[in-house]
Amino acid sequence: MTIILLIVFGLAILAMAAYGYKISAKTAEDYMLAGRTIGVVVMFFFVLFAVSSSWTFYGYPGFLYMHGPSYIYFIWGSVAGFAALYMFLGPRLWAIARLNRFLSPVEVLAERYESPFLRVVLSLMLLVFIVPYVGIQPLGVGLGFKALTGLPILVGAAYTVAILVILVILGGMRIVAWVNIFLGAVYASALLGSLIWAVNRFIPGGLTGAAEFLMANNPEMLSAPGPQGYFTPVIIGGTLVVGLMAFSWPHIVIGVMTARDKLLFKWFPILIFIFGGLFFYTLPFIWGSLVAPVIMPGVTGKEAADSIIQTIITKQLPNWFSVYVLMGVIAAAVSTAAVQLLTSSVIIARDLIQGLIKPDAEDSQIIKWARWSVVGIVIISLVVSLRYTQAMALYLTEVTIPGFAQWGPALVGGILWKRATKQGAIVGTLAGLVYLVAGLFYRPLFVGMHPVMPTIIINMILFIVVSFLTQRPSEEVQSKFFDEVEEFLEAG
Amino acid sequence: MREILKHTPGKIFIGVLFVSLAGMLFITRYFTSKILVFGWMTLPLFAGFVFVAVWLIAYLIYFFKFWPYK
Repeated sequence: MTIILLIVFGLAILAMAAYGYKISAKTAEDYMLAGRTIGVVVMFFFVLFAVSSSWTFYGYPGFLYMHGPSYIYFIWGSVAGFAALYMFLGPRLWAIARLNRFLSPVEVLAERYESPFLRVVLSLMLLVFIVPYVGIQPLGVGLGFKALTGLPILVGAAYTVAILVILVILGGMRIVAWVNIFLGAVYASALLGSLIWAVNRFIPGGLTGAAEFLMANNPEMLSAPGPQGYFTPVIIGGTLVVGLMAFSWPHIVIGVMTARDKLLFKWFPILIFIFGGLFFYTLPFIWGSLVAPVIMPGVTGKEAADSIIQTIITKQLPNWFSVYVLMGVIAAAVSTAAVQLLTSSVIIARDLIQGLIKPDAEDSQIIKWARWSVVGIVIISLVVSLRYTQAMALYLTEVTIPGFAQWGPALVGGILWKRATKQGAIVGTLAGLVYLVAGLFYRPLFVGMHPVMPTIIINMILFIVVSFLTQRPSEEVQSKFFDEVEEFLEAG
Repeated sequence: MREILKHTPGKIFIGVLFVSLAGMLFITRYFTSKILVFGWMTLPLFAGFVFVAVWLIAYLIYFFKFWPYK
C-alpha cells in the first residue's frame, strides 16, 4: 500500500509537469524565467519551498535537539536576508533584467561589469557550490524511504531523481513554481499535522507541559549554550550573520527575475515575515527543541538526532500518516532540488555555452542545452553525494553558504553602487574564493570563525578598495544599469 | 536601496532595521537565563519573534506610505 501511494504521488507531480510542457511557450524566457509572469502568491510558495529543503525536516530539528534553541538564529538571519533581497535588491535586479532581456543573474553582472572573464568565474563558482547540494536532497529522501519501507536508500534516491529530472526537463521554471505550491502544501500540512498529533497524544500539558518537563529533567535544552556548550554569544551572532547571507543564494536570486511586475516587491515581504518567519519555520523549531526531547529523550549521535522526527513519527503514529509525512519530505526535497537544478542549467546553457561558445544561438538550442545539462548535473551531484555521504551534512553550512556568499559583494555592488568596477569585482570574488578553499583545507586560516566571516570581509574590503583605485565604469554602463532603471521604476 | 537612502523616511527605515539587528546580537548575552515567555517560548525564539515583528511593522509603514516606487 505504501509503495502504491508513493507511486500515485509521483505520478501526480509528473502529470503537472506534462501539463506545464503542453501550455509552455517554448521560448528560453518561458523555460528559464517562467516568461517573467510569476505573481506574489506563487512567488512566495516558489521561493519558500525552494529554500525549505529536506534539511528543515532532518538537519535543522536534529541540530536543535543536540544543541538547544539558539540555532534558530540562523532562521532569523535567513528571514531578514530573504526580505532584504526582495526589498533592497529585488526591484532593481528585476528591472535591469526585464529592460535588457537578461535571463540569468550571472549575465546581469557580466554585462554590468563588462567582463566575460567574471561571467566564467561566477558561473563555475556557483556551479561548484550548488551542484553537490542538489545530490543531498535525493539521498535525504532515500533515508526516509528506508526507514518506512525497508528498501535500500538508492531506491528512494532513484525515485526522487526520476521525478526531478522529468519535472525540470518538461516543466521549466513556470511549472516548477506552480508545483512548489502543491509540494509546499503537502510538506507544511505534514509538518504541522505531525506536530499537533504528537503534542496531543504524548504531552498532556501541551507546549507549556513540554517546557516544564524539560525544565525539570533537561534544563540545558531551554537556554544557551545548550547541552553540549556549543552556542556561546559569539557563535550565536555568527549564526545570525550566516543566515543573513541568504540573500546571495543563486536559486533564490533568480526567482526575483521571474516577477510579473514591481508591485510584487511591495507585497512579498509580508508573506516572508508572517508566514515564513512567524509560522512555518517555527514548526520544526518546536519539533526539535521542545517536543522531540520530551517524547524521545537521550538520543545521541548526529545521524540519530537528524532522524529524530522521522523516528518518532514512524514508531508512534499510524502507518498511513508516516507515508503522508514521507510525501512531505519528498515534496521538500523535490521543491528545492528542482529550482537548484533549473538555476544550474540556466547558468550552463546561457552563461557558459551561449555566453562563451555560441552567442547567436536560437531559443530552441538554449532550451535543449539546458535540458541536457539537467541530466548531467543530476549524475554529477549524485556521484559526489554518494562518494562523500558523511561530509554532505556539513556541506550546506560549511561550504555551500560560504561559497554562495562570495558573489554577494559583486552582486550588491553591481546593482546598487555606480562606482563598483570590473577589477574590484574580480579581485574581491577571487580573493574570497581562494581564501575559502584554502581555509577548508587548513581550518586555522579562519582564525576560529565560521568560514563565511573572514572570507566575506576580505572579499568586501578588496572589492571596495580596488573599485576606488581603478577607473570608474563607463557612462554607458552607468546610464544602462542605473539611470534608465530608475526612470523605469519611477514611471510605474 | 538607492531610492530608499535618498530621503529621510528611508534613512529612518534602514536605521530601525540596523538597530534591531544590533539588538539581536546584544541580547544573546542573556540567553543563558532559563526564562520562558508565555510558559514555553525560550528566549532565542521570543527575541526572533520581536525582531521579525519590528521588521514587519517598519516595512509596512515604509513600503506602503513612503516607498518611491509604490
